[in-house]
Amino acid sequence: MTQPIQPSSMVEVVDLEKFFGTLQAVKQASFTVDIAEVVCVIGRSGSGKSTLLRCLNFLEQPHHGSIQIDGVRVMARPDGRVDPAQIHALRLKTGMVFQSFNLFAHRTVLENVIGAPIIVKKMMIAEATDLGLQLLEKVGLTDKKDQYPSRLSGGQQQRVAIARALAMQPKVMLFDEPTSALDPELIAEVLGVMRQLVEEGMTMIIVTHEMDFARNFADRVIFMDQGHLVEAGSPTQIFDQPQDARTRQFLYALDHQN
Amino acid sequence: MQNTEIIVKPNDTETCELGRQVELIRQQQEREFQIGVYVSWAVLFFFLILAFSGLKIDLFGFEIKTIALDIGFITRSGPNIAEGIVVTIILSTASIALACLLALMGALGRLSRFPPAYATSTFYISLVRGTPLLLQIFFLFFALPQIGIRLGPMTAGILALGLNYGAYMAEIFRAGIQSVDIGQQEAAYALGMTRNQMMHRIVFPQALRLILPPIGNQFIAMQKDSALVSTVGFVHEILWRAEKHGRRDARHLEALLVAAAFYWILTIIFSVFQSKIEDRLSKGVRE
Repeated sequence: MTQPIQPSSMVEVVDLEKFFGTLQAVKQASFTVDIAEVVCVIGRSGSGKSTLLRCLNFLEQPHHGSIQIDGVRVMARPDGRVDPAQIHALRLKTGMVFQSFNLFAHRTVLENVIGAPIIVKKMMIAEATDLGLQLLEKVGLTDKKDQYPSRLSGGQQQRVAIARALAMQPKVMLFDEPTSALDPELIAEVLGVMRQLVEEGMTMIIVTHEMDFARNFADRVIFMDQGHLVEAGSPTQIFDQPQDARTRQFLYALDHQN
Repeated sequence: MQNTEIIVKPNDTETCELGRQVELIRQQQEREFQIGVYVSWAVLFFFLILAFSGLKIDLFGFEIKTIALDIGFITRSGPNIAEGIVVTIILSTASIALACLLALMGALGRLSRFPPAYATSTFYISLVRGTPLLLQIFFLFFALPQIGIRLGPMTAGILALGLNYGAYMAEIFRAGIQSVDIGQQEAAYALGMTRNQMMHRIVFPQALRLILPPIGNQFIAMQKDSALVSTVGFVHEILWRAEKHGRRDARHLEALLVAAAFYWILTIIFSVFQSKIEDRLSKGVRE
């Protein structure tokens, strides 16, 4: 509470730890994200990067450490008994995009986008609809507004999911492997929308396997291995001069996949 | 004929044409199957009627006697038994409504991590499923008055059937709620919805789609199980009336057949209704 918050840091994570039973998924993770900074988290499957991201909005309960986003600071507790109001406040600061889209199957595209503003923020339907149409135009799906999600391609669904998260006007966007469930030819359209957000100055934390995107658009890249934040730095530092042996090993394996 | 003629690669319009033919043949086969089913039903129904026609049939020298019914009794008592249909419909509809309410609460209790809620739910389900429905009906009608609780016959009937079905249907509701993908909940939470908002706006509407067919099935079963309430003698539904008329004129056969016909017709009407609903729902899913 007393710790001063640097004005430039949008996200501040201190000593975060997360266990699944006795398995430790996230180990003493500390990092900050500045306003308008784009951070990509890379690492092997099972390295804890998705868990770390999901701890930021308490979809996973961290057991130790603290998370501060845009002035809202929440302390983790080992028993998980964190005040729901605090978690709610944290979630209002963040928008999340999932690997499997998770669009509401019983709602149309537009309803998916405007649902949360109406239900959570008590926004007027007309106002929400305006906002929703604006966001759908941004992701290029105005013509699909009355379709149900199951009629859309994966790429289209993910673009709707991004619009849905943006509709709550979050301060930080969290992306959890947003392109991993997509057919290769659909990845570009989703990355295109994300690139647009980068250009608009959105603060973003992206867990991804898209190394080209990380190299070209991230301000900072964090490499995770077995729950540890092993190394962080500019894309050039991480991809071209990795310091840690584990980072080098990971990048070497990536290069020799194809 | 030249060989080359056979190896023609079909272009798009040709494959389309073939596709249309295949579809037409498939539809034709489906129609034939349906007609076959209708005809077979008609034949079975004809034999059922024949069995109770009272006719003597000479089959290759063997004389077969069919069962003769007292038509006079049926025309006299039929209308009065038919009045029980309304009672049966009210009884089963009110009971299924109560059962749905209890099933929802039971399912939420089963899914709760709050020990008293979980315990209350499992206790209720265990107690009700562990005792016979008929015993529960007797209990409400005969045991409760002994301790001074006197319920109206309809109230007691609705309570007994609703309580019983609610326990069985709680498992249906629970399965329906659990079958909604966990990602839907996570997305709702990530958007800042509370647990109540998430359940009400996201999970229940999707679960409903899955549990409507089994609820319909339970309702169909309820229409017949409501006859159990006739045994206590206070609810004048179809079976109670049939028994009364049958005993008075010693025409149990006719009376029970009339009652059976009414139950069957009720079920058929609701089954048609139910399959229409299911068609609509499955279309929604495919869309």
